[in-house]
Amino acid sequence: DGHAITIRATANSNENDEDYDGLVVFKNYVEQASNGAITVEMFIGTQLCSNGTECLQGIADGTIDVFVSTSGGVSGAFPFVQVLDLPYLMSDDRVAETALANGSTFTTKMQDMVEETSGGAIRLMTIGNTGGWRNFANTQRRVQTPADMEGLKIRTVVADLPQELVKALGASPTPIPWPELFTSFQTGVVEGSKNGITDIMNMKFPDAGLNYVTLDGHAYMGALWFMNNDKFMSMDEDMRRVIVDGFYQLQQATFASPKRKSIQAYEDFQAAGGDLYVPTPDEKAAFKEAAAPVYDWFKANIDGGEDIFNALNEAVADAEETINAAREADLN
Amino acid sequence: MPIMLAVTRALAAVNALVLAIGRFISIGLMGFMVLVILLQVFFRYILNDALPWSEEAARFMMLWMTGLVAPSAYRWGGFVAIEMVPQMLPKRIGALLMLFLLVVAGLVLVVAVQLGWKHVNSGWLFNSSSLKIPMDLFGMKVVRVKLAWMYMSLFVGVILLLSVNVELILRTLAKFADREDELPEIKPLMAVEAE
Amino acid sequence: MLVWFLPIFLLFLMIGLPVFFALLAAPGIMLWLNGQERDLALLYRNVYNGMDSFPLMAIPFFMLAGEMMNRGGITMRLVEFSQAMVGHFKGGLAQVNILSSMLFAGLSGSAVADTSALGSMLIPAMEKEGYTRRFAAAVTAASSVIGPIIPPSGIMIIYSYVMGESVAALFLAGIVPGVLVGLGLMIVTRIMANSNDFPASRARATWPEKGQASLKAFFPLLTPVIILGGILGGAFTPTEASAVAVAYAFIVAIFMRTMTVGDLPQVLLKAALTSSVVLLLVGAAMAFKTVVSLSHAPEALAAFILTLSENPLILLFLINLLLFIVGMFLDAGPAIIILGPILGPIFTNLGIDPVHFAIIMSVNLTVGLATPPMGLVLFVASSVSGERVESIAKAILPFLAIEIAVIFLITYVPNISLFVPRFFGFVT
Ligand code: NA
Ligand code: NA
Repeated sequence: DGHAITIRATANSNENDEDYDGLVVFKNYVEQASNGAITVEMFIGTQLCSNGTECLQGIADGTIDVFVSTSGGVSGAFPFVQVLDLPYLMSDDRVAETALANGSTFTTKMQDMVEETSGGAIRLMTIGNTGGWRNFANTQRRVQTPADMEGLKIRTVVADLPQELVKALGASPTPIPWPELFTSFQTGVVEGSKNGITDIMNMKFPDAGLNYVTLDGHAYMGALWFMNNDKFMSMDEDMRRVIVDGFYQLQQATFASPKRKSIQAYEDFQAAGGDLYVPTPDEKAAFKEAAAPVYDWFKANIDGGEDIFNALNEAVADAEETINAAREADLN
Repeated sequence: MPIMLAVTRALAAVNALVLAIGRFISIGLMGFMVLVILLQVFFRYILNDALPWSEEAARFMMLWMTGLVAPSAYRWGGFVAIEMVPQMLPKRIGALLMLFLLVVAGLVLVVAVQLGWKHVNSGWLFNSSSLKIPMDLFGMKVVRVKLAWMYMSLFVGVILLLSVNVELILRTLAKFADREDELPEIKPLMAVEAE
Repeated sequence: MLVWFLPIFLLFLMIGLPVFFALLAAPGIMLWLNGQERDLALLYRNVYNGMDSFPLMAIPFFMLAGEMMNRGGITMRLVEFSQAMVGHFKGGLAQVNILSSMLFAGLSGSAVADTSALGSMLIPAMEKEGYTRRFAAAVTAASSVIGPIIPPSGIMIIYSYVMGESVAALFLAGIVPGVLVGLGLMIVTRIMANSNDFPASRARATWPEKGQASLKAFFPLLTPVIILGGILGGAFTPTEASAVAVAYAFIVAIFMRTMTVGDLPQVLLKAALTSSVVLLLVGAAMAFKTVVSLSHAPEALAAFILTLSENPLILLFLINLLLFIVGMFLDAGPAIIILGPILGPIFTNLGIDPVHFAIIMSVNLTVGLATPPMGLVLFVASSVSGERVESIAKAILPFLAIEIAVIFLITYVPNISLFVPRFFGFVT
């Protein structure tokens, strides 16, 4: 009929990724709930666009409808999203999932900032997860304290904040394209990275010598789901509701998926002789202290940095309160 | 016909001049690209302090180098094509086919110029991830380079290609009147060979 | 409906539209007829996006390094070195031509550069010794395809760019196949020398002569060692290695006085011109690939291929046929960009090592550079020698036959490609 809507969604990953799990759930929900009025067309990989900047540009001009990115991928257009890369702000999954829920102080603020910065072209639909938590991993030694990071060449994406973080910890940030990372570990061009365990195992990095992982969980790997605003607003309200609920389903799927996937990944890592270190609360506190200059850097150098930083902290405080209350209630 | 020949001559002169300037800049960009990447190696490998901007700066130069020099390659016949069919045909019919091919190329370029304009304009929204003009050295705020400045390279490239394409169409038309000898020859400085 | 852009594309190519325009016009027309105007913007955007890549920068840099080495003096030293080694064989100068190509391959990433550098020197020399011009041109063209097989290689940089394989692994994997193609050509030449009574070019070189020739060729021949050593030793990434190769070539050329600083603008311009054409082609092919995906042709093709057989050995045979035909009509770079993402996963899922498949595809399409009608090196050999393309194409057939034989050898003996990268830990 004349109301048929096709949504073209893309993720620059593969079918093993949480992004794909999320999209499958989204597609299934939206197509059923709209009774076939909406079709979701998925492009997994780089057929349509091959990095955050390119894809976001496609969202802005409507050549692509839905796209998912990590914060690093879109930090050129939206520098403030790097608030998700700030270390040690969220303590665990339950806090993160509550703080990132749509309607939270933080997510609402982030949605407003995305819409404003993009001149109303781009809509942030939801923030899910991709790959669990970011940890430090390296080829050289077990890292227990910030001092152990001294001098390590750590791969980062080409973006300010991750580089500032690595510098704050006394290591040396080195931008390396993702496809060259394996070789670069092997040859020693870089000695470490900050990734989730599933990425580490999918890319077979331990074969290249990446054998030390410190589970410092410094950042929650938020996955930002964007949509072309005109496309969204051109639908009638019923359809918009289906889309919004579809993104809720997607978010829940991506929250859950890495937890399940990382179990096998950790087992495989250790089975291959990898060294998995869980820092003590004291050691974690030492990391947090060493990383503190990055908070100031972020607030001073990123437009809207202070606002979004405060919004996240507020949302985390709210989340902790809600969770603690619920937990107390469950205990008795 | 004399008017058309005059227009062709004028356009040929403009193209020759503009493309020469483009080549001049491209030579510089090619050289600087190498220097920037050597600097990158030096900082990372020798000083263990990787430069955050070198990669993007070099890409910036590569894109502009391409946009500014590729039209010279086109004008000098360096775009790869299977030339057997046009060469096998008699002169007039071959010229007719050439004209058709040039018109197709011209259509592609006209559409590309329109899309390129939109592309450039969409680039004002986005900052480059690492390129900044260090205005803080002068006590002002750091200015981030907009991606539009990079997008402009291809836009300028297709405009120049279109200009060359129009010249080539006019030259082909002159062939029908057997007047192509009255036009200044295109004198390539060197052969262009792809791959 | 959309898939009609494939035959239209072929038609445009055949009647002589430059590949760059054909790659854009065919999908553009179909998108427009289909009312998919927004996808035209995607098409344009991906021409830009396709070129905007750091790993691709190795292409202009290796071109530039090759261009610096390509100045008469250094090519001459390689030829003299080859003369001292194989010049006394029957058909000596033909053997020299092939060996020089193998050596030149280590300095340059392009078959065309090889044809024009060695062809302009060796074709006249061969004619003087009584070879026919078309045979001389055919040997030159056939051996120049070794250029992009032995590292560095523009084609493998493109492969790694679209498929995400490590450049270093592909470079290493190309070494043995490149040498095999060279040896194959030398054997064919030797057989032809017997039946045609080709002359030896010189008396066997004495050891001091060999030593002197080696010494003179030593520094240029060190280039591939520096490139690969630098990458494997952890000093630099492949793109950085290409910049270092430029610096090294510059020093060698200045030091050996085969180039002056005054030549620099011309050398830079040549490399800029040549690489701009390649980069635009890469961009256009990336855009074309986008429309291929939108048309869902890859899924259809993949499904079709798997209905033919599920035996990888049979499929590899069929794929070689397909690639060979594609290589006749399409330049290697665009062919890899368009077909790599479709064919690669099929074979990796069937258990073929991705590096092995990369080599099968690259070598096959490289050999396509020497087959008409889109045989770039044939055309360059023709313009260098003044011989007609058709007659070179005929004279090249025996060489083509051995190259096809080598392709099948590479296809069915994975270790030929995988031994070296496995030794360095790139392949498990
Ligand atoms: Na080579
Ligand atoms: Na060919």
